[in-house]
Amino acid sequence: MSIDKQDAGYGTPNPEKKQRTGLPLSRLRRFVLLGIIVLFILQFVRVKILVGGLTGSLAVWFVTLIDIFAYADGLVSSRDFGMTALVSVLPVALIYLVFGRAFCGWVCPMDFLYELVGRMKNRSKKSELSSQRKGNISPKIGYGLAAAFLLISGLLEVPFFTNYLSHLTNFFRLLTGGVFFGMNLPVDRSVIIFSGSIIAGLLVLEFFFPRLWCRVFCPVGKTYGLFNKISLIRLSFAEGQCGECNLCDHMCYMKVKIARHIDETGLRDINCIYCGRCIDGCSTKGKLIKMRLWR
Amino acid sequence: MTRRELLRLTLMTGAMSALGGSASLDVLVHAADEEYEGPLSSIKTGGLIRPPGALQERAFRAKCISCGVCVNVCHAMRYDAIAVAPFSSPFGKGGLRGLLDFGSPYIKDMRDFPCALCMECPKQCPAGALVSVEKEKVTMGMALIDFSLCFGWNGDVCLSCSKACPIGGKVFDFYNGEWGNQPYINERCVGCGLCVRYCPLGGSAIKVVTKRQYEAVKAAYTGDFKKLREMSGEARYNIVYGQNLPQIMARGRLVEREYR
Repeated sequence: MSIDKQDAGYGTPNPEKKQRTGLPLSRLRRFVLLGIIVLFILQFVRVKILVGGLTGSLAVWFVTLIDIFAYADGLVSSRDFGMTALVSVLPVALIYLVFGRAFCGWVCPMDFLYELVGRMKNRSKKSELSSQRKGNISPKIGYGLAAAFLLISGLLEVPFFTNYLSHLTNFFRLLTGGVFFGMNLPVDRSVIIFSGSIIAGLLVLEFFFPRLWCRVFCPVGKTYGLFNKISLIRLSFAEGQCGECNLCDHMCYMKVKIARHIDETGLRDINCIYCGRCIDGCSTKGKLIKMRLWR
Repeated sequence: MTRRELLRLTLMTGAMSALGGSASLDVLVHAADEEYEGPLSSIKTGGLIRPPGALQERAFRAKCISCGVCVNVCHAMRYDAIAVAPFSSPFGKGGLRGLLDFGSPYIKDMRDFPCALCMECPKQCPAGALVSVEKEKVTMGMALIDFSLCFGWNGDVCLSCSKACPIGGKVFDFYNGEWGNQPYINERCVGCGLCVRYCPLGGSAIKVVTKRQYEAVKAAYTGDFKKLREMSGEARYNIVYGQNLPQIMARGRLVEREYR
């Protein structure tokens, strides 16, 4: 009987249930991201709700925030980062103790740009799943790379990754630089060119190796990934409903092996960015996989 | 050179040779921008002019994570003084350290966008690279007057710089005499650059240099000042009418900058 149920649900659209669950998560997270970007853009018309960038920012006029890897970077380069920075990093740490690596899926602007690149690519190639084959490099390299960046920061006494290479810093530097350039305010063109080429380089990398940056290299994401192990949020699985279609594995562009763990009660994978694609893609329409904050 | 310094050097060269390409670009782009040769062109700025409340250069560079909060806070305050620094030339005085300037904030253009010492950026720097201090204790730089271009030193009464100065009376000394109201900026100057902006001479007669650079040129600069003060009337006449006034007239454009 239970098999009948699954077969009925398999692949057939069920409008009633979709309405009940509301906005699909993959859509909702885009609204969250766009909201944050819009708040950052509002700083150019002097609305100080979010000022700066995702590396470090000023929220609601007086709360200062610093990205966690940027904090580590600064800590290594300056040896003594001081109270101000500690106060700035604590709220961020608290947020991601709750939400884990959700930063990557819900806040990081590169995730959105990468999706656009993916769509552009799929228009010519047609197959969404074919992009999953390439790039079988072990994600563990990322931790070595992050450590190497920190070492360079310590030796140069400059936050090396955060200052030069970070996609977050360069994205917002490019945004600010472009707007200032358009408004004829002081900005150095070489800064815009540099940041633009870093972002363009990452997009080219994305075109040939989908999500390789996120999965393997990005030290910011790796840092948030460590939070996944202790964060409140996790994927939880309902028992005995899996149709073993492996759609969740296919949907996941972070290559988390969800189907393999489906018999367990939940999953805390370092690479999971809580984008909700597995939930939206699951043939049980959200009954099997859930994001849980408690229990 | 210690082994550690050597390691640092090699790392810098290796890691940033790829990034250094855009350093030369800035020179190309900005070469044609200047309208007049700046005041005191023989004296270099001596590094970047940092936003108010910045720590000592080395500690500042280590703590600044290049987040852009100060840049945007300055924009929100409608001063737009702070910009993100490009790569400084590795062939300059700082050598390869110039490549480390990239990404840090500096006051780019004091002629049009000086710092107004509102002290918002140090209050809101999330990394603690800028620290709140009193206005009078800021050490961004030191303003130097070009005596050969200043109206007040060449037979006029102008006072624009002292009126613009946010710490007014403490910074300006006046030596009134037959050659004008001769302003002199003393060492209590914090280097905000408001006087640079409000100098009515085309291209401004004031230049801001870093405090460290001021220490280097102090002897020559104060020497010039003393020489002018002690000069006989006839010699001074020859200098003012023979050399200075033609230069000043050439830069004329008195108030065009204010009203554009």
